[in-house]
Amino acid sequence: MDAPRPVPQSDAVIRPFWEACARHSLCFQQCAACGHRWLPASVVCPRCWAAGAEWRQARGEGSVFSFAVYHRAYHPAFEPLLPYIVAVIELAEGPRLVSNIVGSAPGEVRVGAPVRLEFLDIGDAALPVFRLAPQGA
Amino acid sequence: MSRAVIAGVGHTPLAARLERSAWALQAEAVRAAVADAGLTPSAVDGLITEPGYSQGVIEGVTPHFLRLGAMLGLNPRYTASEVIGGASSVAMVQRAAMAIGAGLCEVCVCVFGDAPSQAEGTWRYGRGDDAAFGLFGAPGLHALAAQRQMALYGTRPEHLGAVAVTMRHHASLTPHAQQRTPLTLDDYLASRYLVEPLRTLDCCLISDAAGAVVVTSAARARDLRHPAVRIAGFAQAHNLTSFAAADYLTELPARRCGPAAFQMAGVGPADIDVAELYDCFTIVVLMQLEDYGFCAKGEGGAFVAAGGLGLAGALPTNTAGGLLSEGFGGGMLHVIEAVRQLRGGCGARQVSDAEVALVSGHGLGMNTHATLILSRN
Ligand SMILES: [Zn+2]
Repeated sequence: MDAPRPVPQSDAVIRPFWEACARHSLCFQQCAACGHRWLPASVVCPRCWAAGAEWRQARGEGSVFSFAVYHRAYHPAFEPLLPYIVAVIELAEGPRLVSNIVGSAPGEVRVGAPVRLEFLDIGDAALPVFRLAPQGA
Repeated sequence: MSRAVIAGVGHTPLAARLERSAWALQAEAVRAAVADAGLTPSAVDGLITEPGYSQGVIEGVTPHFLRLGAMLGLNPRYTASEVIGGASSVAMVQRAAMAIGAGLCEVCVCVFGDAPSQAEGTWRYGRGDDAAFGLFGAPGLHALAAQRQMALYGTRPEHLGAVAVTMRHHASLTPHAQQRTPLTLDDYLASRYLVEPLRTLDCCLISDAAGAVVVTSAARARDLRHPAVRIAGFAQAHNLTSFAAADYLTELPARRCGPAAFQMAGVGPADIDVAELYDCFTIVVLMQLEDYGFCAKGEGGAFVAAGGLGLAGALPTNTAGGLLSEGFGGGMLHVIEAVRQLRGGCGARQVSDAEVALVSGHGLGMNTHATLILSRN
C-alpha cells in the first residue's frame, strides 16, 4: 500500500480556498475597495488593508514562474512519483501559487511556458495542478 | 555609527555527529567566547540566543533564552531570542549592539547552537500547504530560485559549481572545517541532483555545532584580551510576502538593507576586504554578490567563475569555507570568521590587510535578511 499524500492542513483563513478546490474551482481573493488580487488568502487586502475581500474563480490559465525537479522524496508518498515537478504558477489574473506540473518530462518544461489548470483528487480534497498548454494554444 | 564592539568569539568543533545535546554545545561556545574576551561569567549581563532547528521543535514551549539562561546561571539585564531563521545570528549581534548602545547592558553574549543529529527528521518539515505538492524545505525553494535565474540571466551549473569549489578550497585551509576533501568542478558536475537544478554539492552541510560572540562597548573593551572589532554598520530588510513579490526568487532583501548598512558604516562595496555571505545554497551567494552591488545583476556567475571569491580575488568570501564546507553554524560562524580575519593570524587562509568585513544572514526561504559591517579600526 502506497503512503497517502499529505493533505492540505490550513487554518480558517485559508480553508475556503481548499473547499473551493474540492469542488474543482480554483479561487483567489480580490479587494472590493482597490481591485487588488492575491493568494494565499488574507484577512485584509495586502495592498490597502480594506476588509471584506471577495473570492473570485480563476479561468485556469497561467504560466510557469519557476519550477524545480525533485530527485529525492522527503515524504514516502512522493517516492513513486520521482522525478516530480514542483512549480510556482502565475495565474492569468495575477496571483501566484505553488503547484505541480503533470504530464510532462522535466526537460519539456520552461520558465514562462503557458499552462492549463486541472484537479488531482486525493481523498476528499483536490489539488490544483497544471499541464503544459498545447502548442499554439 | 554604533559604539559597540565584538570582544570575544568562540565555537565548538563542527561535525555531522558530536553525541552531545544542543544545550551542551551552546554552553561550550559561550564559555569559549567569554574566555576569549578575557572575561568571567559574572561579567555577562546580556544574553541573546537562537533556538536552532531541533530545539525549535522539541523545546518550543519554553522560551529558549529562559532555559539556556537558567543552565548558565544568568540573571541578565537584557535577554531575547531571535527567530528569523538564517538571519538570526547577524540579527543577534545587531540586537546586542543596540542594547549596548542604549545602555541596557554592558557585556552581551550572542549564541547559536544546534544538534540536528539528536533530532532526527526535524529538518525535513514542509511549509504548510506546500507539502501537499511535495515542496519540502529549503532545497526546493532555492532550486526554484536557481531555475528562474538560469532562465532570466543565463546562470550556469558551472557558476554554481565555482561557488562550491571555492568554499571547499577555503575549508581545506581551515583546520576546524567539517569537510576538507578537495573538490573539482568536474566532481561537482558529476554529482547527483537533489532538487534540480541544485545538486547535493549546492547544499550546505548539516552540523552539530555552536558559536558565540561577546558584544560590549568600545570603552569596556579597552583593557580586554584582544583588540576589539568595531560594529561599524548594520541593517535588516525582509520580504514577508514571498511569492507575491514581483522579484521573489531573483532578488534578496539584501538589495535594500545593504545600502543602509554601508551608509551607517560610511563605506561602500569597494571598501569591503572580506565577505562572509550566508551560503545555505550556492545560488544565494550569486544573488548576494549582485544585490549588495559587488557586481551587476545577472553577473554574479561570471564574477565567481573568474575567481572573484578566492583569497586573492576581488572579494575574498567565506574564508573558512562557509556553511557549504566549514559546517553549519547558523551564520554565527560567519561572524566569528570575520572577526578572526580582522584580528589577523588566520594562517594560510588569512586575507592580507583585512580592515573591513561584511557579514550577511539570510533566512526562512528568501524572507529575511540582515547585514553587518565590521571594522578593525
Ligand atoms: Zn485593496
